[in-house]
Amino acid sequence: MAAANLPPIRRDWLSKTLAGFVLGAVLALGCSGLFLQFNADMPLSVRGQLAMWMVPPVWLGVLGGVFFFASGLRAWLWLGGAGALVLGALSALRLS
Amino acid sequence: MRSEFVRIYKAVHTWTGIVAGMALFIAFYAGALTVFKEPLTRWASPPGEVRPVALADAQQLIVKTLAAHPDAAKDFTLYVQDAEDVPARLGWQVRSPDADEHDGSQVRHYAATLDAHGAAQVTETHPSRLAAFIDTLHRVVGLPVDSDPNRWVMGVIATLYALALVSGVVVLLPSLVKDFFALRVGKNLKRMWLDAHNVVGIVSLPFHLVMALTAVVFAYHDGIYAVQDRLLHDGKWSTAFQRPRPAPGAAERDPATMLPPLEILARVREQAPGFEPTLLQYQQATGPRAVVRVWGKDAAAVSPRARGGFAAVDPYSGKVVGSDFLPGRQSTPNLFISSFFALHMAAFGGTPVQWMYFLLGLAGAWLFYSGNLLWVESRRKKQARQGGELPVQRLDVRLMAAATVGVCLGCVCGVSLAIVGSKWLHGLAGDTNAWLPALYYGAFFASIGWAFLRGAARASVHLLWLAAALTAAIPLTSLLAWSLPSLGLWAHGSAASLGVDATALAGAGAFAWMARATARRVRYGTPDSVWSASGVQAKPAAGVPSVQTPR
Repeated sequence: MAAANLPPIRRDWLSKTLAGFVLGAVLALGCSGLFLQFNADMPLSVRGQLAMWMVPPVWLGVLGGVFFFASGLRAWLWLGGAGALVLGALSALRLS
Repeated sequence: MRSEFVRIYKAVHTWTGIVAGMALFIAFYAGALTVFKEPLTRWASPPGEVRPVALADAQQLIVKTLAAHPDAAKDFTLYVQDAEDVPARLGWQVRSPDADEHDGSQVRHYAATLDAHGAAQVTETHPSRLAAFIDTLHRVVGLPVDSDPNRWVMGVIATLYALALVSGVVVLLPSLVKDFFALRVGKNLKRMWLDAHNVVGIVSLPFHLVMALTAVVFAYHDGIYAVQDRLLHDGKWSTAFQRPRPAPGAAERDPATMLPPLEILARVREQAPGFEPTLLQYQQATGPRAVVRVWGKDAAAVSPRARGGFAAVDPYSGKVVGSDFLPGRQSTPNLFISSFFALHMAAFGGTPVQWMYFLLGLAGAWLFYSGNLLWVESRRKKQARQGGELPVQRLDVRLMAAATVGVCLGCVCGVSLAIVGSKWLHGLAGDTNAWLPALYYGAFFASIGWAFLRGAARASVHLLWLAAALTAAIPLTSLLAWSLPSLGLWAHGSAASLGVDATALAGAGAFAWMARATARRVRYGTPDSVWSASGVQAKPAAGVPSVQTPR
C-alpha cells in the first residue's frame, strides 16, 4: 500500500487543538479586518455586523480542520504562516 | 483519505458528541417547540375580560392613556390583530433596570382600555410566560435563566456541536456513497441505528451547520464586537448605532396630532403590499424624534427577527423613514445579516417552513439521543455464546445509558408538565409563571433520579409512558375545559390553539408507540445489553441463565 511510505500522522491532541483555537481566532479576526478594509464604503453598522458574523465560521472552520495536519508542529507552522500573511496584509492596508 | 484521519476524527466526534449530546437534546427539543412560541402562548393565555377597543377608536385610546400615564409614551404597543394573548388594544412594559436584556421574567406589563365613559382604564397584566420559559431552556441548553454566563455555557456546547458536525462528516465521507440511504434494517440493531443516525445527520446537515454557527454567534457576539472594536474599529463601534441627539429643550408634542393608527397602517400597506402588520410599537411618541415601528410579517420575504420585521414611520407625518428592517425591502447587506437570524428562527416562508423547522428540530434531538445510544452500544460486552454466562456491562456504560434516558426523557416530561400545569395552576396558585421552573425541573430531576435508580432499560419504558401521559394531558385539559366549564379552565377555538392540542395528541401517540417498542426490547431483546431487563441484573457470581423465552 502506498500509505506505508508516508510519514505517520501524529495525533498531537493538545498542540493541534491549541493551534486551531488560538491561530483560528487570529485568522478569523484578521479576515474580518480585511473584510472591513475592502468594504469601507458600507455604513459602519452594517459592515461591523457582517465582520462579526464572519468570525465564528472561519474560527470553527480552522478548529474543525486542524486535525488534518500531519502533526501539531505542522499545524502551528502552516496556520501561523497564514495568520502572519493575513495580519501583514491587514497592517499594510491599514497603514497605506 | 488516509484511515488515520478517519480514526482521529472519529475520536473528535465521539468526545464532542458525548459531552454536548444531552445539552443539545434539550436545546433542540425545546427549540422545536419554540418555533410555535406564539400558538403556545395563545393556548396558555386565559380568556381576557377587558373591554375591546375598536382599531378605529385607537387614537382616542392612545391620547387618553398618555394623558393619564405620560411615562408610557417612551415605548408602548398598539395591537392590530386580536388574539388570545393580546390582553387589550394598547399595552406597555416596564423593565427592571438591572435585569439582563434577554431576561423577560422581571418585566411588568400594563394594558389600557377605555371604560364605558370613555376614560382610560389601566390594569397590570400577567401574560403567560410558558413559551418564553421553553424558549429560555432552548437558548441556554436547559439552564433556568438567559444570562451572560449561561449563554457562554451554551456557546461552549455550540462550539463542540460544530466540531461534532465537521468530524461526523469526515468520518462518514469515505463510505458515504455506500452508506447513504442504506438503512439496513435487520438483526444488527446497532448497524440500523448507525445508518439512521447517518442518514438524519447528512440530510439535515445544512440545518445543523446554520444552527451551530448562529448559536456560537448568539453566545459570543458581545465579546467579538468588543475585541473588534479595540483592534479594528478603533473604538468607534459604539457610534455606529447612535442617532444624532435632538436639540435640548424641544417642546413635548401633542399625541392628538399624530395620524390615527388606521391611517399609518394604510400608508405602510401602500408602500409594502404583501406585508401583514401585526402591531404598532410607538417610541418616544411625544418627543421630537417620535417613531412608530409597524411590525408585521411577509411570508414571501425574509424577516429579520422571529416576530417579523418593521417599517419605521413618523407618526406625525406618516412618512416611512426607515425600511432597514422591512421584510422584502432591505438592502443586500442588511438582507444578509437578517438571513442569519431568519435561518435560525424559521422567520421566512411562513407556516410550511415553521413545520419543517419543527420536524428538523425534533430530528436533531433524536440525532443526539441516537448518538449517545451508539456510544453505549459500541461499548457493549457480548455474551460469549448462546446460553453462556451473561457478561456484566461496564459501569460507565450503564451510567451513560441511564443519564441519556433520564436527561432526554426528563426534558420531554418536564416540558409537557409545564405546559399542562400552566393551565391547571392558573387562579389556584398565585403567579402561574413562578411555578413553571418548579414543574419543569421537578419532573426533569425526578426522571434522572428514576433512571439511575431503576437502570436505563426499565426506566426508559416508565419515562416514555410518563411522557405519553403528560403530553396527552395537554389536549385532555382542553377537552375537560370544554366539557366541564365549571372547572374554571379554558379552551380556545382558534386554529393556533387547536393546533397545539392536535400536535400534543400526535406527540403523545408517538411516545406511546416508542414506549411499547422499548418495552418489547427490554423484555424480549438480547439479554447481553444495558437495554435488557435481565442483562442489567446479571451478576458475575450469580450465573443467571440467559433469558431467551418471553417471561
